Amino acid sequence: MKLNNLVIKNFIRNLNNYALYIFALVFSVALFFSLLTLTLDENTMEEIAASTPMSALFSVGSVTVVIIIILFVMFANMIFIKRRHKELALFQLIGMNRSKIFRILLLENFVIYFGSLIGGVVLGFFISRLLLMLLLKIMRVDMMVEMNFSPTAVLITAGVFVFIFIVLMIQNYVFLKRSSLINMLKLNKTSENTGKPIGKMTIVLGIAGILMIALGYYMSQTMFDRAMENPILLPIYMVAILLLTILGTYFTFKYSVAFILNMSRKSKNGHVNVNDVLSVTSVMFKMRSNAFLLTVIAVITAISITAMTLSYITYYSTDKMLDSRTPYDYTVSHAEDLDFFEDLLTENGHEINRVEKTFMHYNIVRTDENTDIPENENSSMNSGEMGIVVASDAEFDNFNVAQNEAKVTGTIAVLDMFMSFDEGAPVTFTDGQEFERTVEITETMSEGVVPPYLSFGLPTLIIDDAVYQELAENKPEETGGFEMPSELFAFDIIDGDSEEVYELMDQEEHPGFNSRLKEYNEMIQMSGMMAFIVGFLGFAFLLTSGCILYFKQIDECEDEKGSYKVLRKLGFSQGEILKGLALKMIISFGIPLVIGLLHSLFAVKSGWFIFGIEMWTPMLIVMSVYTVLYSIFALMSLVYYRKVVRNSL
Amino acid sequence: MLLKATDIKKSYGNKFNRTEVLKGIDINLNKGEFVSIMGASGSGKTTLLNVLSSIDNVTSGHIYIDNVDFTTLKDKKLADFRKNDLGFIFQDYNLLDTLTVKENIMLPLSIRSMSKSEAETQFKSVAVQLGIEELAQKYPGQISGGQAQRTSAARAFIHQPKIIFADEPTGALDSKSASELLKKLQQLNETLSTSILMVTHDATAASFSHRVIFLKDGQVYTSLSRGEMSQDAYYREILDTQRVLGGVVDEAE
Repeated sequence: MKLNNLVIKNFIRNLNNYALYIFALVFSVALFFSLLTLTLDENTMEEIAASTPMSALFSVGSVTVVIIIILFVMFANMIFIKRRHKELALFQLIGMNRSKIFRILLLENFVIYFGSLIGGVVLGFFISRLLLMLLLKIMRVDMMVEMNFSPTAVLITAGVFVFIFIVLMIQNYVFLKRSSLINMLKLNKTSENTGKPIGKMTIVLGIAGILMIALGYYMSQTMFDRAMENPILLPIYMVAILLLTILGTYFTFKYSVAFILNMSRKSKNGHVNVNDVLSVTSVMFKMRSNAFLLTVIAVITAISITAMTLSYITYYSTDKMLDSRTPYDYTVSHAEDLDFFEDLLTENGHEINRVEKTFMHYNIVRTDENTDIPENENSSMNSGEMGIVVASDAEFDNFNVAQNEAKVTGTIAVLDMFMSFDEGAPVTFTDGQEFERTVEITETMSEGVVPPYLSFGLPTLIIDDAVYQELAENKPEETGGFEMPSELFAFDIIDGDSEEVYELMDQEEHPGFNSRLKEYNEMIQMSGMMAFIVGFLGFAFLLTSGCILYFKQIDECEDEKGSYKVLRKLGFSQGEILKGLALKMIISFGIPLVIGLLHSLFAVKSGWFIFGIEMWTPMLIVMSVYTVLYSIFALMSLVYYRKVVRNSL
Repeated sequence: MLLKATDIKKSYGNKFNRTEVLKGIDINLNKGEFVSIMGASGSGKTTLLNVLSSIDNVTSGHIYIDNVDFTTLKDKKLADFRKNDLGFIFQDYNLLDTLTVKENIMLPLSIRSMSKSEAETQFKSVAVQLGIEELAQKYPGQISGGQAQRTSAARAFIHQPKIIFADEPTGALDSKSASELLKKLQQLNETLSTSILMVTHDATAASFSHRVIFLKDGQVYTSLSRGEMSQDAYYREILDTQRVLGGVVDEAE
């Protein structure tokens, strides 16, 4: 029996311990490789990423994936090498020197890494096809999916993994060099600073941590309002919020959790049951010593959920955004252009529906409620007034407004920062002199009737025709020689717009126009691509942080084997012990998740309106999907615990 | 003289908070001698064993085995040293769960060039002497504590080292398995004339050895040789010394 045989046999018998690790590795390789294949595929890129910022997005994505993978693999490697200290120590005891042990580790890792590399590339090739189909579906592009196997992608992937391999070997070498034999033999006996009493400092810092997070949340909700008053505050606020929440998170894990769990423990006055032994008391100390790791996981979770939510909000809001910004299939600048296109399209068998509308810009009185723009001395507007677009309900058939009422159209969330119209609030028109007319807002909607380039991005108020005529009579003289736009020329294609119509119109000698279809394609492709990449990264984050928590649980499980044995000898049933362990899983996985979700909830709430129109639906969808996927890791840990508990007697 | 240690000192901690565990110990061990180290908890007996067996470093002092001072050796030389001259038995057996009993025992042979048949003979001889040859194909999870410890002992003996270091080998065993193991150790000690240095807190275990060294607060307090005494008388002597030492007197029958 030669040493190598023994080592190989030992490794193979240990393989089920490595199963998830190998799975995660294969998956990381596959993710990276498929992303790379997409990026390197010229046909694909030509089709979906005509502009450079889009392909740049892909590169940023790949680099981020590499960083995630490196950190994950280093962490997992550390856990595994520590788990194997007993074996490594034994090898040294029977007279193997360190360089020989290093060679064994090298061989093992070589097999693991390059096996995963090959597996990952194969899997990645198939995934890349799926991913491309998914991406095209998200971007709503019709294209034949045809992927070529890219040798360049294989080379780059191999290069990256060779680099990771070298990093790991350095890590292993340093570990072996640093740890003396005595420490290796004792490694399993050094508990993670268990049994330290909860001191006054813990309570103070524990409360401080929670307060810091609360303050950060509070600041995040007022950030944009404050920043509107003084733009310099914005970066200061952002840095302060980040520091407060991240430090607060750390303190929470380090002190608050221990302190809160300790209160519940104290209230039991020594009458701990099996649930407490397995969950509360264990987690209390474990959380404390893993505070840094848990902070990283919670912060990463928060960042990825926030990013995914925001990009999904953009994607989800595309249709509504379009309804708000581009209400008609085509808009043109002049009545003659409209005639021109009508002739052209009718000739080619496309019926159109002409839209010719008039409206006017009128001033309204500023009040504290309806504006958030600070008074500005240099403003071209007269102080106390601001301009808005007004249209008559006679012009727009589907509106019917009572005499003293107004409907606000085309108001999107981001406008709230500048002006806000609340249902039920009064709005007063003024000519700047003595004339004033007040109406009440009865409805606000995100659909628009006047494109933003005519309304200067502001909402449009629709009022009763009588009021409109009254305003028109009292319209002040235009000053400054600049004539506000007051007419809108647009048309809809009755049978529905199509690429064909667009091609027909889009000739160099034809007058210029705005196409809803074109705008839609641009928006959906940009936001779809963004959502895809961010979702991809979020998934990689989820996978790695889930695996890390799982490995951590395996590690703890092995350490606590003895307790299960004792408990079962004392007469507790498997079910009772597992109930306690389930509680432990809920706490260990739940607390980082809940903190991450809360962080992202507040982050999204503070700035979502920049990204789109809807917040709750897309956010809840992202959060629930994340939670479900994340829970799988908690369940897997519980399954592992069950196996150990069952075998403990 | 096989092992000779002079003025061993060992301290832990940093500059500001230092605890001296061994405060200058001299120990000698002759070829074929079976010596026990006893002492109360915290007297430094396990630390002494770790230091003498090259698992831990000394803070100062020298340890010679066959006149070679291994406190100054580098990792590679030290590894050779462990490979050829030393064997280990631990309280918690330290067997690899993934290897069979036979593979565990053969582990020390696997790193030296030895023919298959030669290795097989070696294995046979220790396995028979320790009464575990039927267990060869079993995994450590399937055997009892006493059997596991005998496996561990077989692994320590198989490459015929000069000294075997045993740290509380009977600590986790019931009294029957413990005395069985000790009898086997005694036998192997006599037939192979391998020296044994054993740390124990159990006077019964210590009564199997030729000589008992008592530690107190990091120093050698006294030592006791069996000489021509019967094991029973020797055992009582050990108990008396322990009582004087003020340590925990356990399992006095």
